Amino acid sequence: MKAKDNPFKTDSVLGVRYRLRDRTWAELLEQLRRLGYRAAIVGPHGSGKTTLLEDLEPHLASLGFSIIRLRLDDETRGFERGFLRRLFRTLSERDVLLFDGAEQMSHFAWLRFKRGTKRAAGLIITSHRRGRLPTLIKCETSSALLREIMRELIGDEAEARCGMTEELYGKHEGNLRDALREMYDMYSEQR
Amino acid sequence: MSQLEIRTRDDKVRFLPGEELAGQVSWATESPPGLIELRLFWRTQGKGTKDVKIVESVMFDNPRRQETHDFRFQLPDGPYSFSGKLISLIWALELVITSTDETERLDILVSPTDTEIMLYGSRQAFPASGT
Repeated sequence: MKAKDNPFKTDSVLGVRYRLRDRTWAELLEQLRRLGYRAAIVGPHGSGKTTLLEDLEPHLASLGFSIIRLRLDDETRGFERGFLRRLFRTLSERDVLLFDGAEQMSHFAWLRFKRGTKRAAGLIITSHRRGRLPTLIKCETSSALLREIMRELIGDEAEARCGMTEELYGKHEGNLRDALREMYDMYSEQR
Repeated sequence: MSQLEIRTRDDKVRFLPGEELAGQVSWATESPPGLIELRLFWRTQGKGTKDVKIVESVMFDNPRRQETHDFRFQLPDGPYSFSGKLISLIWALELVITSTDETERLDILVSPTDTEIMLYGSRQAFPASGT
C-alpha cells in the first residue's frame, strides 16, 4: 500500500484527538483553575499526554491566556544555552507555558525552571511520573480505547480486527502510539 | 462559510518537471477576507515526521469579498511525486484565507513519466543489464 493511502499514516493518527473519559472540558478547566493553572498531565508513553496538552491550548487561549509551547524529548533533552534566561525575562502574567516532556529536566534544572516561570499565569507539564506539579489528570489507555481509535481510522474494518487489537495492546503494554505504528506496518504490506 | 476554488488550465493535474502551471483561483467570502495566499508546495505523508516545502506563493493583498485571479508558476525540476510503503511525496496547490485558515487544496502530479514514481514497482521496472 502507498504511504499516502495508509490509514495509519502520521497525518491520520495525529487527527485522532484526546477523549476525556470521566469529566467534561469545563470540569477539567475548572480543576485547572483551582490548581492555579500549575499542574501536570501524567501517564506512560503513548497514553495521550501530548495530545491532551495540545487540545488544552485552544481552551486556554479562549480564556485570554497567551500560550507558550515548550518541548523536550529523548532526542532533545535540553534547551539551547541562554534560551530559558531570555524566556524568563519576557514572561508576563498572561502567559501560560505548555511544557511537553518536563521529566527530561534534572531535579535542579526543574527547580530553576519552576522559579523562573513564577511570573507566568500558568505552567502545565506532561510527565511520566507524578510529583513535579499537582496532577491534573492521569492518562490511561485500554484495549477498548485502541479499538475506538481503530474504528475512527478504518471504520467497520476495525471490528474484523478485534482480536488483533487485544493482542497489539498487550504486546505494546498499553502504548497506543506504538500499537498504531505496528498497524501502519501491517497495512503497508497490503496491496 | 467561504467558497474557494482552484482551477488549472484545462483542468490539468499531471505536469512535467519544469513545466508551466497556470490557472485561475476564485473566492467568495461573507466578510472581507484580509489576506489570501496561493501556495505551490509539496508535502510528505507516511509513517514518520511530516515534511513540507512551500516552493512558491502569491499573496493577494486587500482582496474584495468576491474575486477571480489568474496565476502562473514555473514548476522546479524536482522532487518528483512518488510513493513507497514508508513515504509519499505529494505536490499541491493551496488557496488559504490566512485570517481564518480556510483552505482549498488541489493535489497535482509532477513526474517525468506522467505517473507517480513508485518506489516498490514490479521487477519488470528494472530489466536486468545486458538484456
